[in-house]
Amino acid sequence: MSANPFDIRTVLLASHAQHVVLIHFPIALFIMAVAFDYLAQWTNNRALAAAAYFNLMVAALSTVPVVVTGLVAWQWALEGQKLKGILLMHLVLGCASSVLIWFVFWIHLRARRHPGESLPTYRLSIEAIAVLLVGLTGHLGGFLSGVNA
Amino acid sequence: MRRSVSSIALIAALGIVFMAIGTMRRGLIARAQSKPESTAVKIDNFSFGPATLTVSVGTTVTWTNRDDIPHTAVSTDGVFKSKVMDTDEQFSFTFPKAGTHPYFCSIHPKMTGKVVVQ
Repeated sequence: MSANPFDIRTVLLASHAQHVVLIHFPIALFIMAVAFDYLAQWTNNRALAAAAYFNLMVAALSTVPVVVTGLVAWQWALEGQKLKGILLMHLVLGCASSVLIWFVFWIHLRARRHPGESLPTYRLSIEAIAVLLVGLTGHLGGFLSGVNA
Repeated sequence: MRRSVSSIALIAALGIVFMAIGTMRRGLIARAQSKPESTAVKIDNFSFGPATLTVSVGTTVTWTNRDDIPHTAVSTDGVFKSKVMDTDEQFSFTFPKAGTHPYFCSIHPKMTGKVVVQ
């Protein structure tokens, strides 16, 4: 099967499909953001808090192309057929992870816009849950792509 | 005279028996020939086995997913297209005419196979 590198479908559905490439950005950025945030909370270090904020911002932004390419792959490669099993779990957990990443970013953004307010400590629990969800989604994604096989 | 009549009757009876056996045999052969053929492709460890399958026109090919993860079988020429097959699920397609049909798994495009219909 010869692939045309200038065909948009081929490019998006290639075996190195963009979803599989792009997904590493929000995973890495979010996990690092949470690590910085925990350290900032523990050490009361403002530089670490700033690092956490900017990592979170880029992590949240990078979820957009990841979700889009995932949905495009579903619509084009599988023609939008009803999903079940691992594929469905991957889709649901991926969407839930993205929502949580944005929610955590929103908490940080709100605190930053109101200098008098401090970051709520409950965010640390949400961040921990989000890291677990991201890890589980990534594990299923790796399983689907054959990396874990 | 009586003896020759019974000989003729015996020969006629044997002839009828042989004709009946011949007719039954032809019927059985015809039935065996008209019975549609079927063959299987096993999906396991991210590969189609056999990767290239040669079948005759009218053969039904059944793909069975023996892998732990979902797969599909989609021909590049659009002749057949399975739904997502989870573990132990199957997809069958009967090839009505001759041709070569390369196919792949749309979730794992590196997984490829070919059905040659003669």
